[in-house]
Amino acid sequence: MTTAGIDPGEHHSVAELEDLAYELRRKLLELCGTYEGAVHIGGDMSVADILTALFHHGLRVDPDDISNPNRDRFLLSKGHAAVCMYIAMAIRGFFEYDDIVATYGQLDSAYGMHPCKVQLPGVEASTGSLGHGLPLAVGMALSARGRGEKHRVITLLGDGETGEGSVWEAVMAGRSNRLGNLVAIVDRNRQMMTSFAEERVMFEPYPDKWRAFGWNVVEIDGHDMSQLVSAIDDLPDADSDVPTVLICETVKGKGVDFMERNLAWHAGSLNPTDLERALTALDASRTKENA
Amino acid sequence: MPETFTFGDMLSARSVIGETLAAEGAKRDNLWVLTPDIGATLVEFRDTFPDRFIDVGLAEQACVGIAAGLAYDGNISVVSGMLPFLSMRALEQVRSDVCYPNLPVKIIGTHGGLVGNGGSTHYAVEDLSLMASLTNMTVTSIGDPVMVGEVLRQSMEMSGPIYIRLAVGKKDKVLYAPGEHDIRIGRGIVARDGSDVTLFTHGTTVAQALDAADELAKEGVSVRVVDMWTLKPIDAELVIRSASETDGRFVVLEDHLTYGGLATRISDVVTDNGVSLNSFERLGIPQVYAGFGDDEELRNKHGYGLVHTVDALRRAVQTQETS
Repeated sequence: MTTAGIDPGEHHSVAELEDLAYELRRKLLELCGTYEGAVHIGGDMSVADILTALFHHGLRVDPDDISNPNRDRFLLSKGHAAVCMYIAMAIRGFFEYDDIVATYGQLDSAYGMHPCKVQLPGVEASTGSLGHGLPLAVGMALSARGRGEKHRVITLLGDGETGEGSVWEAVMAGRSNRLGNLVAIVDRNRQMMTSFAEERVMFEPYPDKWRAFGWNVVEIDGHDMSQLVSAIDDLPDADSDVPTVLICETVKGKGVDFMERNLAWHAGSLNPTDLERALTALDASRTKENA
Repeated sequence: MPETFTFGDMLSARSVIGETLAAEGAKRDNLWVLTPDIGATLVEFRDTFPDRFIDVGLAEQACVGIAAGLAYDGNISVVSGMLPFLSMRALEQVRSDVCYPNLPVKIIGTHGGLVGNGGSTHYAVEDLSLMASLTNMTVTSIGDPVMVGEVLRQSMEMSGPIYIRLAVGKKDKVLYAPGEHDIRIGRGIVARDGSDVTLFTHGTTVAQALDAADELAKEGVSVRVVDMWTLKPIDAELVIRSASETDGRFVVLEDHLTYGGLATRISDVVTDNGVSLNSFERLGIPQVYAGFGDDEELRNKHGYGLVHTVDALRRAVQTQETS
């Protein structure tokens, strides 16, 4: 599936990708135990498998050639999961993990709560305010089309974020402009910041909403690495004319029992005792899934 | 008895935008034009470069976001539409998607000021205040239709964003002879020189300002008319110089709220530079929702028509010197 001159550079088995996702979660928790302020750990943990599948398998990107015009573009529309993206990119070789830990959130750091392209080259867009990533992705996908480039533009949204009207404006624009090179991935963790989604906002029938707007809809378990890999491998060709959404069922706080589906863990910090508890829980969760 | 007309006829005087974009599009294969269903002025570009013309329909937020996505990827994006909606409905996209990364997105549109019978949903009267508050944004308001093309052309060379405000564009007078003034973004134009008082204005009220200066000339009063078409960055040097050259007497006339627009920007220059004035008066839209009527009726109703401008200039020159 390599096209346009960029090789993914890495060819991992599903088991190896699962190990990388474990490493990502472990590093996320460690940062959460180091940084004194709140980290959006709940939404970070829910996208850890998705970002691992992207940065170590799906995205044709090269950490040593971040401006290559043929690279796939990835936009983190749910910008509050920036830390998860920074670390996933660090494991892939874009950044130094130690730099992230040493400077996160500090004055003049490139690493803050929401990603900034100007301060952190390698990031494709400055995001954070919700509902902005998909319109930007439509623009980038149009640009690729205009130049006859074959790369994809992929953006990751939270399901809560899709309450923003601008998302649906862009959903229509993506379909209307026949952008088969455009991929939205929805982290369907069914939680917003202060409430469970369906209790406040009736998103269901959720996949039908995207279908009704004319998109190619793929529903998967966003924590099942083999499903993620298959879904990415099976994406329609970039020069096809229907955009695709991968709706990934996920669990906010995935991997740490006391964080999972717990509204208190939208964001937070871990003292040394709770960091140990969290790491132990992560290992236990992994053992259980491997059993 | 009303004449029969269509929207195309009404818009025809805006053709300078369409012609300029078509010409620039031929020179630059990275120029894209986007609109939220206000594309009547853009037919030349649309028909010549259909692959670089995007009409998203009624979706201002996505329109500006898509424009930013294109600009991130090395393109120049022009967004054309109605300013009350681009400046407010899409304000956050302008701020966070365009200005934050300082992308070459050019926003040009109509319906700046009290432009007739649309009512207050369809008047952009806060837009210059909103846009001028955004880091990296250049803010302009243009009355002369020929200048619109020149500024649009110059904006192609700018690495960052610009906001270009027009009124309606269907009955703008050509104010300046070709080559009469050096048109440069960030430089005001002395549309008429004078020595007793300076009347600063921009956009659609430049013509009215020149008419007011004619009236005062009959009374032996010499009015300098400054077309301060770039509100940001403001031509501070021209403001400071005009204070000393026109006896410290300023009147500011604009089709915008009296606070937050050009008057505010000029008063900032005055304050920041310790300029002392003998008089300063703002003419523009008070804090009201303006109602219906034609442009001239609305200006007269709200205190910034020709007669009010003439009166304000008279008051300005009659004010005793403070020092």
